[in-house]
Amino acid sequence: MRHLGIALALALSVPVAGCVQTRQFADLQFTPPQGDYRLLVMRPDVTVNSVTTGGMPEPRADWTEQARAHIIAALRAQQAARGGNVQIIARRNELRGVSEDVVADLERLHAAVGNSIALHKYLGAYLPTKPRRGLDYTLGAEAVELGRRTGYDYALFMHAEDNIVSSGRVALQVLGVAGCIVGFCAPNIGGGGQFAYASLVDLKTGDVVWFNVVQTGSQIAGLKFGDIRSPQGAAQLVERLTGRMKPGYEVRRATGRS
Amino acid sequence: MTRTPKLLLAALALAVAGCSSTGGGGIGSEYYSLVRVRSIHVGDGSMAVTAPRPWNRTRTSIFSFEDVRQVEDWTLNGPLLDNISFITGLRNNRQIIYQRRTEDRQVPRFRSDMSAPEITAMLETFFRTRAGSIEFRTLSLKPRLFLGANGFQFDFEHLDSDELWRRGRAVGAVIDGRLYLILFDAARSHYYANSIGDFEAIVASARRRR
Amino acid sequence: MCFRCAELNRRSLLIGGGVAAASLSTGVAQARIRPADMRPLIGPGFRPTDRDEIGLWQQMDRVEEEVSGSNILIKDPQLIRYLQNLIGEVGGPAAKDMRIYLARIPEFNAVMFPSGFSVIFTGLLLRMRNEAQLAGVIAHESGHFLRRHMIRMWRDMRMKSDLLSIGAMVAGVAGGAAGVNTGDITQLAQLGTLLSLFKYNRTMEAEADAMGARLLAEKNYPAIEMANTWEQLIGEADASARHRRKRRDRGRSLFATHPSPESRMIDLKISAAEVTVPGRTYDSRRARYLQAISPIRQMILDDQVKLNDPGASQYLIETLARDGWNGLLRFYEAEIWRLRNRQGDAQRAAQGYAIAVAYPDAPPDAWRWHGLSLIKAGRQAEGRVALSRYLRMQPNAADAPFIRQMIS
Repeated sequence: MRHLGIALALALSVPVAGCVQTRQFADLQFTPPQGDYRLLVMRPDVTVNSVTTGGMPEPRADWTEQARAHIIAALRAQQAARGGNVQIIARRNELRGVSEDVVADLERLHAAVGNSIALHKYLGAYLPTKPRRGLDYTLGAEAVELGRRTGYDYALFMHAEDNIVSSGRVALQVLGVAGCIVGFCAPNIGGGGQFAYASLVDLKTGDVVWFNVVQTGSQIAGLKFGDIRSPQGAAQLVERLTGRMKPGYEVRRATGRS
Repeated sequence: MTRTPKLLLAALALAVAGCSSTGGGGIGSEYYSLVRVRSIHVGDGSMAVTAPRPWNRTRTSIFSFEDVRQVEDWTLNGPLLDNISFITGLRNNRQIIYQRRTEDRQVPRFRSDMSAPEITAMLETFFRTRAGSIEFRTLSLKPRLFLGANGFQFDFEHLDSDELWRRGRAVGAVIDGRLYLILFDAARSHYYANSIGDFEAIVASARRRR
Repeated sequence: MCFRCAELNRRSLLIGGGVAAASLSTGVAQARIRPADMRPLIGPGFRPTDRDEIGLWQQMDRVEEEVSGSNILIKDPQLIRYLQNLIGEVGGPAAKDMRIYLARIPEFNAVMFPSGFSVIFTGLLLRMRNEAQLAGVIAHESGHFLRRHMIRMWRDMRMKSDLLSIGAMVAGVAGGAAGVNTGDITQLAQLGTLLSLFKYNRTMEAEADAMGARLLAEKNYPAIEMANTWEQLIGEADASARHRRKRRDRGRSLFATHPSPESRMIDLKISAAEVTVPGRTYDSRRARYLQAISPIRQMILDDQVKLNDPGASQYLIETLARDGWNGLLRFYEAEIWRLRNRQGDAQRAAQGYAIAVAYPDAPPDAWRWHGLSLIKAGRQAEGRVALSRYLRMQPNAADAPFIRQMIS
């Protein structure tokens, strides 16, 4: 699976206790889109699993569909408030004038690019040639061509996974912690948690101009992070992921903000 | 010549479990070091090349039994997107990657009497068994001088299990019974074209050292 | 008689994975389920009503959407139609109009979902000697579907894994990891998730076997071919392990999800005998099968041989050759040796290519490698002739520039 590597790896490094990690990366000159811009939101890639007591993630289709619907609604609401002109495509064949294959190819390329950004900027495998601040990744001509054909200025790609911990597991967790105190630490069976990333691509250049990762985790089940199956939870994730788009480093420096 | 997953997990094992690990500068370039724009020795040192712009080379360790001394990997944007690999002075009966004797599917060993078609077949099996290639196509095989010897240029593309098409070029020659080869492999969309020029410059600059 | 005889026998039996190995293990094989006792639990037009099953179907619809968008699929319409017809024949009620997806993956596997679609891997098509064998696999998968194993297993697994985890924790063992299967196949984009989702227990496998045998016989296929399929799979795995001088890997994807293949094979032989009506004609339809897969046959042989698993590939080719050698099989046998490249293999391969080109159906690559072997052996003139023949057969070959230079 394209995203399996990241998700699995992150599952291994779920943070202690409960916390939310969010980190944004942007082109140095990036300014969040405002005013009359046209935004294409690519098929949000959403999966909601129920983590049963045995630790087996059970992909719950009904939860997934719920979450996806709420995420799409939250995206629409958020973008409407921003005053942009947004189309959110739920299926590859919904983009007029563009074939499914073209959409699919762009999704695949982005998966490789998105995973690379996560790996090399967020997860620690730094590349010395990449700037410390700023983002230096692109989707290239394929994205520019899409923009030309459809007239959109930006494309937003989104990936979200959530693991909802069942109550049977809560009981076990207590056991595990107790075990730790006695001296034997039961390894983390993976609490609940979200992993999501969003990237904004400027379709004039094909460059990824903004990228955000949200990782929430809890080894202590019972600490909830806004269930994305509910409208509020989905809105919260969308807000964390795409709401506070900060300008790029040089723009912030120039305007004296940080 | 490895795809990412192992690196990913290794990185994560080191990434601190805690809210501080949002990817600050802490770990630094643990996995990669900088290739500067000057003549440098690659692989086991028997070949020198000059990159036209800075690249990243994968750090290897003499303690890692999985690294093959004669093979070295570089990347510009990360191995999911682009790769250059160097094989320097690989001897008869050696492998280009580490593999256990008991693995079901194995990359063939290099033999000094291999012709270009056999060497390219060895690379193809590498892609099919190690790089997750579902489909592999030879685009062309032609003679080419390399390091002053009669060698070959191999152009290919492959569809991998992440459903992404990648394209590559390898230039190599067998000299004194040893294999010298430079391989470039990148996502077919944008990334191949982005660095093929670098690859050609690197090949042109390649020199053998005693 | 001899001191070490018993030890040798036992060891060779275990390595050979033969029938006797099953009786060496304690107890009889899992109680066989009789084909006569198997009835479909669902009929045409079935739709789930339980909440969790509805959820599972919705998930499968999503999965199907992902699968159908994969670029790893082979879309040959005639081949797909052939597979669809076959599934309609032996899939039992509710199998008509199933959607088929053929994935280019060199592994033996096929899976059917009650929501109405199937995924078949090309590695499966490669290993089938005739239509009856393929029908047997399909009938077996239909058995899971018709006996509603999927949802039963899901609920069963859920219950079991809860219990497992508590036990493991108390015992201080690292229990219940993330539950993600990181075997080879699950590295695949979307297709891998299918296989890790459904592991059936032994009773269910026995039910599917029984149902499969019944469905096969009803359509006049020889049910014994189901047992033969397992024999071939076991043989291949053993040959592969033997070549690498190790024990057969029980974790190998197929056997991980289908344990104790030997005892199932025995049971299938008995079941086959039960459903076979004396005096009736059964036809394995080999010719029709070969005709149907002929467009992809070379490709799937190529995909397998290039993995350089000589034990498995050799066994496979010899199995297929039981029905007759031809240029294609001789060529790929030689390819196995060339890639294996042990002492003497270069010569073996050279001889193999020479044999292959004597057949009328030898592919152009056979001439290519024949020529290259001759040149390597110092027989320049003959080599040039063979390579010229290759270039005539394939003037736009990708390596034509290199080959031309070789023979100039």
